[in-house]
Amino acid sequence: MKIQILGTGCPKCRQLEANAREALRGTSLEASVEKVTDLDEIMNLGVMMTPALAIDGVVKSAGKVLNKDEIVRILQAGK
Amino acid sequence: MAECCCGSNVPVKLLYAFSGAANTGYLADNAARRLAKLGIGKMTCLAAMGGGPSGFVESAKAAGGNLVIDGCPVACGEKIFENFGIPFNHFVMTDYGVAKGKTEITPELIAKTAFALTEKIADE
Repeated sequence: MKIQILGTGCPKCRQLEANAREALRGTSLEASVEKVTDLDEIMNLGVMMTPALAIDGVVKSAGKVLNKDEIVRILQAGK
Repeated sequence: MAECCCGSNVPVKLLYAFSGAANTGYLADNAARRLAKLGIGKMTCLAAMGGGPSGFVESAKAAGGNLVIDGCPVACGEKIFENFGIPFNHFVMTDYGVAKGKTEITPELIAKTAFALTEKIADE
């Protein structure tokens, strides 16, 4: 499983990344966390608002800093 | 361009224009571009919404408003948003004195229609 954090590196993007890493630690899932900061790549995914979170290339959330529990639910639904 | 929500708790409005074959679609597209230039919202792709890529759909869910500008009462844009169950404000160019397949779309008409839309958007 690949978790992507889409954003240009602002504090909310970094918070979402931290929350995603924390969420991942609370599960037994094997996943990588990748930051996507290139605007063209973000736009190509159709994301108009960052931070955004994608799982295996599917955008699950945009324009929000999801908390750990919300991310855990998304991860468990996507396994 | 993707909007970073840092430093702002006000989600952006997104603008969607139906750019079909008729003069009304041409007007919808140009009026939406004018609204984007005025800073009313960020223009994004209605056809992509129809296709359903997740990034577009999630952005629409998170937006501070989705302004859907259709050309005619066939209202393809409206149907796309209804299919997703995402809230939106709807505008149809034929409600602004434009006859489908007849009215010539001039720069003056685009400017006048965009102005009328800004007033309507402000009211909603």
